[in-house]
Amino acid sequence: MAEERRFLSASGVPIALRRRQHSASCRELAVRGPRLQLRSLSAATSAVWLAAYGLFALSENSMVLSAAIFITLIGLIIYLHFVKIDQESLLVIGSLGIQVTSSYASGKESTTFIEMGQVKDVVINEAIHMQKVIYYLCILLQDPEDPQGISEVVPLFQSSKPRLDCLIEVYKSCQEILEQRKTAPQSS
Amino acid sequence: NSPAPLPERAIYGFALFLGSWFGFILYLIWAYIPETWLFSLGLTYWPQKYWAVALPVYLLVTVGIGYILLFGINMMSTAPLNSTHTITDNFAKKQQQKKFQEEAIPALRDIPISEVNRMFFLPEK
Repeated sequence: MAEERRFLSASGVPIALRRRQHSASCRELAVRGPRLQLRSLSAATSAVWLAAYGLFALSENSMVLSAAIFITLIGLIIYLHFVKIDQESLLVIGSLGIQVTSSYASGKESTTFIEMGQVKDVVINEAIHMQKVIYYLCILLQDPEDPQGISEVVPLFQSSKPRLDCLIEVYKSCQEILEQRKTAPQSS
Repeated sequence: NSPAPLPERAIYGFALFLGSWFGFILYLIWAYIPETWLFSLGLTYWPQKYWAVALPVYLLVTVGIGYILLFGINMMSTAPLNSTHTITDNFAKKQQQKKFQEEAIPALRDIPISEVNRMFFLPEK
């Protein structure tokens, strides 16, 4: 069962949240950002090439033009492979753990798995980020020595930065699965 | 420690007022009167007039950079999103739990973030 809803990110771009329930204790939540727009790509390319042509008109050195083409190509490849994240997904499996995947525009996927024994809770935290206060979802990891302590905070959905309404949906879905930990018999 | 006017404060204020006027007139004399006139008066060991322009410029540039520096220091000391300082701190970890008394207002304490989230975002059934 899959459903998709539209939301806004913290900076105002439209994002889509897709929820899939694989079984009673397994849920997948994916947040998709907008694809790379043709108009922003052509605007950036034209700006760089106009600046390079201006430099060429000033300096009469034709290497400037070839350098500009080279920079544009390499910059686009680096942007697609390392910066532009298309989809971030969260897979919560009740007794096993939580898997966080980021898919880049070039097709690269980077995955992190956190096993359920280390997960203390999934909460919505608010913090100061670059002159704004934003809500963000994060996984709190358990401190092995102190049962009440928190050893690490893993922030989720860092590049799509959904707003509070989307985060509440994700939070409720995660809590439904995490609550089953308490009612189910503990087995180590 | 009250801010009320006292005789000593009036004297300090007046001394500062006279001192600052004296300093300003001295600075104007140093900056504007030609060196030959000062030499003929016998005042030969004063700093170069270059500094009469350079020091104010240094001061203003320092003030301008100070704005940017303060902004940058603030941004650097803000805890990043993945640090535990956004969730708790030393005082909250070491707080003592007071015993719950019937019909009394509960004692002030730092509520853990999981409890706060459950209260805000999970609707009561």
